[in-house]
Amino acid sequence: MTELCPHGGKGKRHRKEQAWKTMEDRKQKLLDIEHLSIIYKTDLETVYAVNDISLSLEKGQTLGLVGETGAGKTTTALAVMGLLPERTARVTRGKILLDGEDVCGMTEKELLRLRGEKASMIFQDPMTALNPVLTVGSQIGEALYLHNAQELSREQIEKKVEETLEMVGIPKERKNEYPYQFSGGMRQRVVIAIALVCNPGLLIADEPTTALDVTIQAQILSMICDLQRKYGTSVIMITHDLGVVAETCDMVGIMYAGEIVEYGTLEDIFTGKEHHPYTKGLFGSIPNLWEESDRLHPIEGLMPDPTLQPEGCRFAPRCTECGEICRSKKPPLREKDGHQIRCHFHGGGDSLSAEDRKEESHE
Amino acid sequence: MNEPILEVQRLKKYFRTAAGFLHAVDDVSFSIGRGQTMGVVGESGCGKSTLGRTILQLHEPSAGKIFFSGREVTGLSKRAFKDVRPKMQMIFQDPYSSLNGRMTVSQLIAEPLIVNKFCRSSSEIDERVEEMMDTVGLAKRLALSYPHELDGGRRQRIGIARALILRPEFVVCDEPVSALDVSIQAQILNLLMDLQDRMGLTYLFITHDLSVVKHISDEIMVMYLGRCVEKAPAREIFLHPVHPYTKALLAAIPIPDISSKHKHRELLQGEVTSPVNPKPGCRFAARCPMADDRCRSGEIPLMELRPGHFAACLKAESDQLNDPVFRLREESV
Repeated sequence: MTELCPHGGKGKRHRKEQAWKTMEDRKQKLLDIEHLSIIYKTDLETVYAVNDISLSLEKGQTLGLVGETGAGKTTTALAVMGLLPERTARVTRGKILLDGEDVCGMTEKELLRLRGEKASMIFQDPMTALNPVLTVGSQIGEALYLHNAQELSREQIEKKVEETLEMVGIPKERKNEYPYQFSGGMRQRVVIAIALVCNPGLLIADEPTTALDVTIQAQILSMICDLQRKYGTSVIMITHDLGVVAETCDMVGIMYAGEIVEYGTLEDIFTGKEHHPYTKGLFGSIPNLWEESDRLHPIEGLMPDPTLQPEGCRFAPRCTECGEICRSKKPPLREKDGHQIRCHFHGGGDSLSAEDRKEESHE
Repeated sequence: MNEPILEVQRLKKYFRTAAGFLHAVDDVSFSIGRGQTMGVVGESGCGKSTLGRTILQLHEPSAGKIFFSGREVTGLSKRAFKDVRPKMQMIFQDPYSSLNGRMTVSQLIAEPLIVNKFCRSSSEIDERVEEMMDTVGLAKRLALSYPHELDGGRRQRIGIARALILRPEFVVCDEPVSALDVSIQAQILNLLMDLQDRMGLTYLFITHDLSVVKHISDEIMVMYLGRCVEKAPAREIFLHPVHPYTKALLAAIPIPDISSKHKHRELLQGEVTSPVNPKPGCRFAARCPMADDRCRSGEIPLMELRPGHFAACLKAESDQLNDPVFRLREESV
């Protein structure tokens, strides 16, 4: 018997309160993204993938990034890892501070040091993330050979590989097998082992369970939770499944068309009174297991064309509460007790967040 | 229940592999009433897609009988089956790979009409294609687009149009929404339910997503390694799951509700065992927390525990009130 989320409700809340107290202390933050904008530029068109997002993550916290395909979740994650495609992607504004260092300004050599050691990523599809012609043991060991900070010997590295395999629930005898000999769930465990072998401070999980069955998903999520608690790793959980968010996250950012439209604690998003209309739409789209309902309430329409930069709110064409001002003026980010909503009509009173006030005075 | 439109009796489909026979569908029986939806759930590899395909004779069954509108369709020649197939259609899982990228939307939707020689003139075809595009909510201006220009939701609408243009009575929906985003998924589910009302369709709805299946189905069948382990009306199976596998499936769903967060959940350990030459006894015994020697010996039949509620479990009578899912439901009420 395993407990899915190891922290009981009370302990978690307590930890979160502590986290809030240190919010102002910038040094506590492991990751700090400020006003990040990313475009993909080709000869034909420019795609505005990420538009002015700010977020921060403290040590040991889990941040959920939720949104539909094309919302810019993965682009944000790749930017943190310095993995954006060189030829097309440009960071046009903002910075990403990881442990106080700006990732955007790093050279390739510095990035190599960062990846795997300070930050690592679990990729979405375990079927394609592994090299089919190398044994899983050598793929897990690769990161250790590259970042051999403790100057381990070959034997010690092999031992560490075996330990890591056991940690993710694979018998160490299987380290000389190839990825095709593993099932989907087992492969995802191998991918997680690769990401965790150097004990990184930041783990980015890009839809780690989307390709898996629900029983296996539950096993993998509980494993990530356990490992996080054990090593104090910070996690960015990218997903479109609000159920997964409810199970694993402390903080949640709802992304739409490259923007964070709502940001707050798990309680703010799931039980808070004020919400962005898009968040409401997302919740209305999921069939509820425990309630009787005849029809779902989908969000009509589609995500806007990412090559256009609309004047007003990006969600306006699909929004049920859209007013005149929404089409003409970009909504401000309103904040109340850390719960941020980017909407003209929702969010805490008229108080703008400090960042937006600064911006307004610039204009 | 309405008169059954489809009746499946002891259907088996084995595939020959190097290691022995793979029991993809093993002794499955059920019937679906006209205008109803039967949901089939299970993990990947449990045989749910094979079941759908075997019913449509895309695979030849190894044993068992299938009756459609009272007529036996197993054993019909290919030529004879051609008359039946327009009445039984399929919506495929992946709208990205199931459409020919070299055909326009209108050609794709017209194809079944042309193949089955349903229309006398091209103007009649155009008329029906246009009508169908309207039915499934595709704008007329998209008629000359190619699939790669469209998003997943619109492509799945093409798949639905292709299945429905022959005016079938019975449609197998093989994971029609699992490749789509949640907001689009809800649009497609609503569309499928509207079309069912309007055209009197009967669905066999295959999915791994329990919340989707609950939303759309009248009756639900849970499959594990080729076997039907539990079958009951949709409400009933969520209120009173009996089979340990059904309970484990329900417990594994992440619920988008933080009030249920501190509840302890029992997770299923291990993975699905191999369906090649399965051992006798209950297929789930290897992962079941309650299994004993009795479970691993004889065949376990599907037993009717309450009216309409069938389960293949010897431990079915165990104390329901201690079940976590059941308790959760009681709390939320």
